[in-house]
Amino acid sequence: MMIQYRGTKMAKLHYDIVIVGGGPNGLAAAAYLAKCGLSVCILEERLEAGGGAENTEPIPGCRIDPHATYLYGAYAPGFDQLELDKFGFRMSHARNFGGVVNYDGTGTAAGLYNIEYTLEQIKKRSPKTAETFRYLYDNLFTPKNLGNFLRSIYWTPPPPVGMPMDKSDYPWSQVLKKLLPGLYDDVWNDFSGFELMDALWDWEPLTAALGLASWYNGPHPMWKGVGIQAFACNLLMLGSNGVPRGGMHSYMHALIRCAMFHGAKLITNCKVEEILVEDGEAKGVRLAETSPLGNRTIWADKAVIANTHIKQTFLDLVPKRHLDQDFVQKIKDINLNGGSLYVMHLVCKELPKYVGEQGEIMKGKNYPIALVGPCDSREYLINQTIDVYSHRTHPLRKESMTFVIGQHDIIDPSRAGGDLFVVSPIYLQMPPPEYHRDGPNAVNKAKDEINHAILGAIREMAPNMTEDNIVHMFVNTPEDSSFRNLGFVGGNWYGTRHDRDQWWEKRPLPELSRYRTPVDKLYLCNQSSYPGGLCLMAVPYNLMHVLIEDGIAKPGEWWYPSPWYIPESEARYSRSKVPA
Amino acid sequence: MAQVFSEYAECSVKRPDDYPLKELDNVIQADAVVIGGGPNGLITAAYLAKAGAKVVLCEKRYEVGGGLATEEVMFPCFFANTHATYHMMVDYMPPIRDFQMEELGLRWIRPNAQAGLVLKDGRGLLLSHMLEDSCDSILKFSRDDAAAFGRVLPEFHRMVEEFLAPATYWPPVPPVDLAQAMQVTEVGKELAEISEMSPLEVVDRYFDDKHLKALVTYITCMWGLNPNEGGMGFMVPLLLDRGLSKRLCYGGSHKFSGTLSKQVYMNGGLILENAEVTKIIIENGRAVGVQMYDGREVRAKVVASSLDPQTNFLKLVGKEHLDKAMISNVEGWKWDKWSLFTVHLALNEPPKYRTDDAMINEAFLNVLGAETQDDVLDYFDSVLAGNPTNLVGHVSCETLYDPTYVRVPGNKHTAFFQTPAPYDIQGGWEKRQKELTKQALEVWRTYAPNISEENIIMVSSETPLDIEARIANMVRGSFKHGDYNPIQMGYFRPNDICSASRTPIEGMYLCGASMYPGGLIIGGPGYIAANTIAEDMGLKKWWKIPDNIKKYIETYL
Repeated sequence: MMIQYRGTKMAKLHYDIVIVGGGPNGLAAAAYLAKCGLSVCILEERLEAGGGAENTEPIPGCRIDPHATYLYGAYAPGFDQLELDKFGFRMSHARNFGGVVNYDGTGTAAGLYNIEYTLEQIKKRSPKTAETFRYLYDNLFTPKNLGNFLRSIYWTPPPPVGMPMDKSDYPWSQVLKKLLPGLYDDVWNDFSGFELMDALWDWEPLTAALGLASWYNGPHPMWKGVGIQAFACNLLMLGSNGVPRGGMHSYMHALIRCAMFHGAKLITNCKVEEILVEDGEAKGVRLAETSPLGNRTIWADKAVIANTHIKQTFLDLVPKRHLDQDFVQKIKDINLNGGSLYVMHLVCKELPKYVGEQGEIMKGKNYPIALVGPCDSREYLINQTIDVYSHRTHPLRKESMTFVIGQHDIIDPSRAGGDLFVVSPIYLQMPPPEYHRDGPNAVNKAKDEINHAILGAIREMAPNMTEDNIVHMFVNTPEDSSFRNLGFVGGNWYGTRHDRDQWWEKRPLPELSRYRTPVDKLYLCNQSSYPGGLCLMAVPYNLMHVLIEDGIAKPGEWWYPSPWYIPESEARYSRSKVPA
Repeated sequence: MAQVFSEYAECSVKRPDDYPLKELDNVIQADAVVIGGGPNGLITAAYLAKAGAKVVLCEKRYEVGGGLATEEVMFPCFFANTHATYHMMVDYMPPIRDFQMEELGLRWIRPNAQAGLVLKDGRGLLLSHMLEDSCDSILKFSRDDAAAFGRVLPEFHRMVEEFLAPATYWPPVPPVDLAQAMQVTEVGKELAEISEMSPLEVVDRYFDDKHLKALVTYITCMWGLNPNEGGMGFMVPLLLDRGLSKRLCYGGSHKFSGTLSKQVYMNGGLILENAEVTKIIIENGRAVGVQMYDGREVRAKVVASSLDPQTNFLKLVGKEHLDKAMISNVEGWKWDKWSLFTVHLALNEPPKYRTDDAMINEAFLNVLGAETQDDVLDYFDSVLAGNPTNLVGHVSCETLYDPTYVRVPGNKHTAFFQTPAPYDIQGGWEKRQKELTKQALEVWRTYAPNISEENIIMVSSETPLDIEARIANMVRGSFKHGDYNPIQMGYFRPNDICSASRTPIEGMYLCGASMYPGGLIIGGPGYIAANTIAEDMGLKKWWKIPDNIKKYIETYL
C-alpha cells in the first residue's frame, strides 16, 4: 500500500496553457482562453498581477499611478466578449477629458462627450480648426464610426507573414474612405502625425498637444508612415473618456476575476526563469528559485504564451541553443525608443491654476483630467525629441520642456485624498536607460535637476505650484520602471518603438507579426507585438484569431473575429518570394 | 472623503448616453453581501461562495486585504507590509486547510529563531520555535528560568492546542458556562486559574529573570494588553506559544489576502474594490442589502459586515433601527488602547547586531530598547500617558527570508522598527513623527551599528493617524478594531448579543475583528460567521469541522 505524504503537496503542474506574465495582455489572454474551456495558468513575477496597470499608495490616502493611467480601450471587443461589466468594471467619466495649456494663456479644454462646449472653445482660438473638428466629429468621432475606425487599426491582426498589402487595402484605409469621402486620401498612409494634422487644421497648440500625446502613447508625430495611428491613439483616449473607477488596476481586477471565474489559476510572486523547449517545441516553463514553488517546472500541454517583452522572451527566457544567430541579432536590434517616461507625482494643497484665459476654463466641473503643455508651439516637442533621441540625454533646457499633466484623481470619488489633490502622473520623455549617453543610471542621478526643470516650466504656466503648495513628491524614472516591471525593458511602457519599421506587419519583426514564433507552441502576447501597449486587450484579441486557426482555442458563440482578419488560407503572395 | 463629491467629480458617475462599453449594473442581486475585504470578510465570502451562494464583497480600498497589505511605502521599488507581518494562527486556521491555496503558491516561512532581546552589553536572549533552543539561550541568564521555560511552554502549548486555538473558531460560550466547562480537564483548570489574573501576574508566576520577563512581557502585551489588567491572563499562553510560531507570508502579507480573494473569484463570487458602503438597507426590520457611495446597490438575503461596531450600527444601520441598550453599548465601544508607530527602511545590508548570539541576526523579530521588565512596563505606561519615552520596540527584516519585497537589483533589503504608540500623542503627530523616527533609528543603531546613514537607502514612517488613513475602520489606529479588555473580549466582543455573528437586525451578521474572538489575523470571526450564516441560509456546509475543534466541543461544551 502507498503511504500518503502528509505535508503540503506539490501544486498541480500540468496545464493546457501556461502564460508567462500577468500584465494586461497576459490576463486578457488568460480570460479568453479560460472562457474557451482550456486549463490556464498565469505566472506573474510581481506581488500583484496587472503589469503597468497598477495603483499604489506610497503615503496613506494618496493613490498614484506609476504607469498606466487612462482607459484607452473602451472599444475593445474584450469588454463585451469577456463581459467585464459582470466582473465589476466601472468607470469614472470626465466631462472634459483633455486640455491644452500654454505659456501665453490660450489653452483650452476638450471632451468628445462634451462636444458643443469643446467646439465653442476651439472656435474662439481658430474657426477653421473648429470647422474641421465638427466635420470629423459628425463623420468619424460618433461612437459607431469611431469604434469601426479604431477596431480596424487596433483590434485586427496584421496580414499573414509576407503577404504584401496596398495602402488602399489597409483596414483603416477602407474605413476612412467610407467615412471621410473627399477628405481621406491614401497618401495619409505616408504622412507623419504633424503632416496629417497640418493638412486638417491650423491651430498650432492643438497640433502640438495631440502630437505630444501621440508620442507618449506610441507614434511620434514626426515619424512618417504612422500619422493615422498617431491620430488614432488620441482618439482611443478621447473616446474612452476617463479612468476605470479607483484607477487602472481595478480594470485588471475585473480581468483577473473573469479569468479565474472561468477556471484560470493565477500565481503571483512566481518568476519564470526559462521557457522549456524540446525538439523545437515549447513544453512548459521552469520557475525561478525565488518563486514560492521553488525551481519547479510547470508543463504546458498545448501552448506557452509569452506576455513577456520580446527581448526578454528571446534573450532571457528561451535558451540561445534553440535560436538562430541572425534571429537573435534582429531581436537585439529592436529599437526601444518611445515610451521611456519619467513620471512625477505631486500631492498638492490646490490644483494648478493656469495663467490667462485658460485658467477660467480649467476650473470646477470643466477641469480636464489630462493636460498637455506648454503647447504654444511644436518647437518644445521637437527640441525634446532632439535631446532624447539624437543627443540621447534627458531634457533639461526650458526649450524642450513640454509634458503631460494628469489629475484624474479629481473625478474619482473613490480615491481618497482628503483635502489634498493628487497631480499624477506628470510624464516627460527620456531615453531608455541602455541608450543614455551617460550610462543607464544617468537619469536617476539627475532626478533633482529634472524635477527642477519640470517644476520650473509648470510654475510658469501655473504660478501657484509653489513649494508650499506641494506637500509630497514622488518620482519613478525609466530605470525604476524597468526594475519595478521587468516587462518594461528600457523602461518603455509600450514595448518597442511604434515607427514604420516596427509597426503593423513588421511588429516586433516581420516574421513574428502573427504572434507565432520560431518555437512551436510558443506564442507572443505582449505589447511588443502588434498593436503595442495601452492596455487595449488588443494583442490577446488578435492572438485569439491565430490560436483558433491553429486549433488550440475553440471559443463559443460569444466570440466574433475582426471583419478585416485575413486567415492564412486566404493569404495572397504576389511576389515569388514566400517567407520560409 | 469618498461620500462627498467634489465640484470636479459631479459628472464622474454619470455615464455619457452614447458611451461604448457596458459597466456594472446599478442594482446587483446576490444571496449574501459582505462589507469589508479584510481577512475575515474574505474568509466569510469564500466559504459562502463555495457553498453555492452568490456572494458580493464590497471593499472601500483599491485592493482587498485590510490588515493583510503589502504596499510600496518606499516608492519606488521597496515594499513593506503596512499592517500585519506576523501570522500567528497559520497552524490552526481552518480556511488554510479547507481551500486549496498552496496551488496558487501560498507559502509561509516560519524561522526557528523567533524572538530575540538584545541587551546593551551585547548579550542576546533568543526564544525559538524549538524549545530546547530557547532553553539553551535562557540558561545563559538563569538556570531556574531555563528549567521553568522548558516546563511551562509545553503546558501553554497544550492550552492552545486543546482549548484556545479550537475556541478561536467556535462561537463563544457565556462566562458562567465557560468557567464550568474549563473544570473538566487539568489543562482547563490551569487555564481558568490564570485567566483571572493579569498578564503581568502570569509572567511573574512562572519566570524570575528580569531579561526573560522583559522579552515575554513585551511579546505578550505588544498588541495592546494592559499588563496589569485582571482577567486577561489567558492571553499570555496564547500569545507566547503563538508568538514563537509566527510565520511570514512568502510574497508579503497581501499574498494571503490575494489568495483568499481568488477563492471567492473561483467560486463565482464578485469582489468590488473602490466600493465603499454607505448604508445597510433595512426594510421591515430586516437587512436586505447595501448601498454604495455612488448610489449602486447590492440586494441580498444576508448582509455580513467585517467593520467596527460604531461604523456598522451607528453609521450604516442607523440608530432608528436599534434599541437604546444596543446604541449605548455601541457608543461605549473602546478603541485600542494603543496603536502602532512603524519606521520602514530600505537598506543596503540587513541589520547586524552587536551581540554574543549570531542567531539574533537571523531572528524573525528582535526586541530593542529594554533591558528589564521594568523598562518594558515603563514604556507601556508612557504610551498610555500619551508621551512615549525611552522607546522599546521590535524590529524585523523581511528580506532575510523573502527577496520579493525589493525590486532593485543588488541584494537590497527592507526592515522595520515598530512600537506601541498612542493615537493622541502629546504635541501631535505632525510634530512628533520626525522626532520619533529619529529616536527609533537611534535605538536601533545602539544595538545594530550598521543602521547607519550609508546603509539606509530610504525611510518611511507611519503613525497611528496613517493607519486610520489607510484603513478607515481602524478608527484611532485600532488595528484590532477595538480594545482587548475583559468587557470587550470573549462572549462580550463586541457585546453579548452579537458576539456569535448574529445581530438584532434580522439578516445582518458580523464577521470582523470587532467580533469574538478578535483581530490579529486569526480568521476566527470570518470562519464563525461563515458557519453561522451558512446554517441560517440553509446552505450545505462543504467543509468539515476540524478534529481539534470537534475534540474541544466534545470535551468542554
